[in-house]
Amino acid sequence: MTLDTYDATGSARRRADEHWSRRRDLERQLHDGPALRIAALTLRLGLLAQKARHDVGGLPHDIEELQYQLHLIQQELRAVADRIYPPLLHEAGLGPALRELASSASVRVDAGGGRFDPAVEGVVYFVIVGVLAALPPATRTVDVVIRRDADGLALDLGDVDTGQIGAVRDRVRWVDGVAEVGDGLIGTIRVRIPCE
Amino acid sequence: MRVALADDGALFRDGLVMLLEAAGHEVVGCTADGDTLVELLATEPADVAVLDIRMPPEPDGGLSTAERLRADHPELGLLFLSHYAETHYLIRVLNIGTQAIGYRLKEKVGSVEVLSDTLTRIRDGEIVIEPVLAQRLVDRPSSNRRDMLATLSDRELDVLRLMSEGRSNAGIASLLFVAAKSIEKHISSIFMKLGLPSDAAEQHRRVLAVLTFLRSVQDSG
Repeated sequence: MTLDTYDATGSARRRADEHWSRRRDLERQLHDGPALRIAALTLRLGLLAQKARHDVGGLPHDIEELQYQLHLIQQELRAVADRIYPPLLHEAGLGPALRELASSASVRVDAGGGRFDPAVEGVVYFVIVGVLAALPPATRTVDVVIRRDADGLALDLGDVDTGQIGAVRDRVRWVDGVAEVGDGLIGTIRVRIPCE
Repeated sequence: MRVALADDGALFRDGLVMLLEAAGHEVVGCTADGDTLVELLATEPADVAVLDIRMPPEPDGGLSTAERLRADHPELGLLFLSHYAETHYLIRVLNIGTQAIGYRLKEKVGSVEVLSDTLTRIRDGEIVIEPVLAQRLVDRPSSNRRDMLATLSDRELDVLRLMSEGRSNAGIASLLFVAAKSIEKHISSIFMKLGLPSDAAEQHRRVLAVLTFLRSVQDSG
């Protein structure tokens, strides 16, 4: 590669791709390593409880308590994994991953755009999480519409705090995306990200 | 009970075999992927197959394997043990079947009693859903079904949550310390409020009541 053919935009995009692939790998590592070990450990503890079932000193109860603690650790690992790269985002794409959010937040998701590459899906997912987090709890239902058009990904976030536009622009710029917003404190943020 | 299992995590697989045997069950096969399990069950009869969701064939081999097993052996119970508690997977599990099927978290079946209870209920045709997941569906319905759910009383929501875990009337009654008769009353009231057809069989309506909640999540998508 010579200096005058160096494509700065392409390079930034490659770095974004690497970053998001690495996050995806980290999530997988959590699943295949500690999470699996902890799940196996709960089974071994169950075996121990079975051996100690005639114990009069309360050993089976203590073991059950330890298993519950391990369950709490697993729940915490799941929460961490979701902040790194939600496993469902990787397995099934934006629609299913966002609908999982919808069961804890007031969101209507319409995502008929199919799959995009990991960087685009990662950026869009966390843009939406960020915008939702900026809303006061249980105020209104946010409408999320994701489509694939001729240029790439089109995201409309309806009924959100338009003051979030700066944060949204910062995030989507990473994958060469742009964001615009209408007038008013509450309105629609539109994001467009070019895709192959 | 005769149990076959498939999981690509060797540590978990070995632990599960040991616990199943300690519970007095016969492990008729143990594989690291779905395809081998299907081959094995072609010749080896079993009561319940235990499957991981995220295993080969990728990406979610447990689900595609279960579809094949349900087609080949309609009587075979299916238990998904996963690290993930996702509504998305629950809906896919229930699309495979609403009888003799279960979805639980791997770290929540770690006792002889819980494991045997889960397997027995599935063999007997029930649906067994991880309480954490059932709870989430009942506690946080999506906004467009909220009005309908708001008509249910607190006690009716308790009953519905226990139904969605696949409990029988007697089981719900004993957990809530009331007579089975009053559970029946609550259930007919739930059916009425959720607008479920009165001409359908009891078991069928139970499933529909549970699915109403699942759809309330899916509808919002």
